[in-house]
Amino acid sequence: MDSLPASSASASAGLTPWGTRSGPVAGWAAPALAVAVGYYLAARVGFAFTLQPYPISTLWPPNALLLAALLLAPTRAWWWVLAAALPAHLLVELQSGVPVAMVLGWYATNCSEALLGAGLVRAFVAWPLRLDSLRSAGIFLFSGAFVAPIVSSFLDAALVSLVGWGERGYWDLVGTRIFSNTLAALTVAPLILTWAAIDVSRLRAARLVRYAEAAALFMGLLATCMLVFDLPQLDTHTAPALFYAPLPFLVWAALRFGPAGTTSAIAVMVVATIFGTVNGLGPFAGSTPQETALEMQLFLSAVAVPMLLLAVVLDERARVELDAREQRLQLTHLSRVAMLGELSGGIAHELNQPLTAILSNAQAAQHLVGNKSADPEILVEILRDIIAADQRAGEVIRRLRTLFKRGETQFQPLDANELVHEVLSIVHGDLVTRSVEVVPELAAALPKVQGDRVELEQVMLNLVMNACDAMAGLPPEQRRIRVRTRAVDVEGGAVQVSFGDCGPGFTPEQYAKLFEPFYTTKPRGLGLGLSISRAIIRAHHGRLWGSSTPGAGAAFHFVLPALRAKRG
Amino acid sequence: MPYVAIVDDEEPVRKALKRLLRASGLEAEAFASGREFLDASLLREPDCAVLDLHMPRMTGLQVLRALQAAHRILPIVVITAHDAPETREQCLAAGATAYLRKPLEEHELLDTITAALGARTR
Repeated sequence: MDSLPASSASASAGLTPWGTRSGPVAGWAAPALAVAVGYYLAARVGFAFTLQPYPISTLWPPNALLLAALLLAPTRAWWWVLAAALPAHLLVELQSGVPVAMVLGWYATNCSEALLGAGLVRAFVAWPLRLDSLRSAGIFLFSGAFVAPIVSSFLDAALVSLVGWGERGYWDLVGTRIFSNTLAALTVAPLILTWAAIDVSRLRAARLVRYAEAAALFMGLLATCMLVFDLPQLDTHTAPALFYAPLPFLVWAALRFGPAGTTSAIAVMVVATIFGTVNGLGPFAGSTPQETALEMQLFLSAVAVPMLLLAVVLDERARVELDAREQRLQLTHLSRVAMLGELSGGIAHELNQPLTAILSNAQAAQHLVGNKSADPEILVEILRDIIAADQRAGEVIRRLRTLFKRGETQFQPLDANELVHEVLSIVHGDLVTRSVEVVPELAAALPKVQGDRVELEQVMLNLVMNACDAMAGLPPEQRRIRVRTRAVDVEGGAVQVSFGDCGPGFTPEQYAKLFEPFYTTKPRGLGLGLSISRAIIRAHHGRLWGSSTPGAGAAFHFVLPALRAKRG
Repeated sequence: MPYVAIVDDEEPVRKALKRLLRASGLEAEAFASGREFLDASLLREPDCAVLDLHMPRMTGLQVLRALQAAHRILPIVVITAHDAPETREQCLAAGATAYLRKPLEEHELLDTITAALGARTR
């Protein structure tokens, strides 16, 4: 699967501009301007989403925008956020002919709501807030979307009653404000927060097919929402079933496009629903405008909360899996490097041999040329041998470099016999210096297996070295490793590779512990080799096991499913 | 002309050493294993042997011990591509004349062989 741009909440690049500069004024000018412009536009949207003729806003986004801005800003910059909103607030509210005292009062209650929500969140979650875990999303929903709108709405309604503006009663005001602000906090604030966390570079790197999928999702969602919420309702009895029509698209967004994709999809649905409702279309038709607004707000909130949490949980789980995979890769690499460290004596041997041949050949040639007894044919032969020895040394280095490298697992068709040969060349020096003889019994024709070359070589290296270690106490002439490959005749075919030694073997009690991490019988050694080897073979859909007759040696085997030959 | 036997399981190495010794004015023959060398040396005993330590089946140390067991006194220069602290002592204890690390410095090798040959003629 290619990259998921929308589920990159853990990426570092998505930091808010507040976090990137510490300069006092210049660095905060652009975000402050963004807050002012955003607040103004959000208020215009709030006015547009008003149920006529009774002026009730169904969604009041400016406070949610302030909340999101505060959550993205470091606490020391909060004054700037609130100050930036003031001119926008004055501009938009004074246009609508509201008394100055009321305008200022509303500014105070709007700020108090955002401050209360952001303050509560910050008390529990460190800056910057990312909606990337169930915990942080839960704290955000509770503090920013429930406590703050409710508490501030009591203040707001009290202030309106005090100033004596309008004709609506205290509880009527409280109720209206709570629901319009909660809906905004549930939809607008997460939209801003999740988009702010997006890693733009990953968004750019995404493949065209991902963009096409996103386009299909949003077009489908928009069309469905318009059909359900923006058309005159002919038969009100079908309405409840129709409410569920957009849900598959929201689940699609949560599964494939992460929290940012989900909040965007929720936003599309909210806008389409409110647009229809304020224009007298769609299924929401209460006996009063308040009732209509309330029905719609409850419906949208009831959809937004679980969808947002679903997206966050899925994102969190995907990230945990990614982290675990990364750790596995790191551990595998670490153990491989540790093993190569143990091989270093043998590797020195493998390099010294060709170096000896090169040096002695060159010095022989020097003598021949110096004595003027050089036969050109012999000189050519010497040069050819020097080149061959040099290439052999280069091959040792190449093999090592491949094993030292840390890379992603790359599956490809592999020949087990070839891997055995490769591994035996890598350990050749060690086998020679430890006087271990290898008896290969390789099947003539083996089906290929699908696997990662480096990881499978790591498993074989580990098994060979364990076999060598097991025989360290034997007289040199008895140190023998039998390497066997064979095709296993099972459904679909399989390839078995076995490494048998002549060491003391193991008891059933020892065997029970052999594959446990950090269990080792060697004085030096991490005790990770077999557990990592088994994990590697499992990841290749195979099985790794050991067998032993105590006193008569041990053998370790693994089986990998054969790659089915393509039928042409 | 002194005759030097070279014993090394690695073909490129024994070939290169044979060339070097011959170019330096010595008579040299190469053997691929300790067993081959022991058998051949019965027919024609070399004046000196250059013996690789790490060889499959029969190691250089085992060759030294076999010579020792047969009470054969022969100047032996042990060479190794894998130097471990204890092997030097073991080789010298088993009758080696000298112990050199690969890759071999020409002067060091030739001087050592010359010294070994000198010790034999005395």
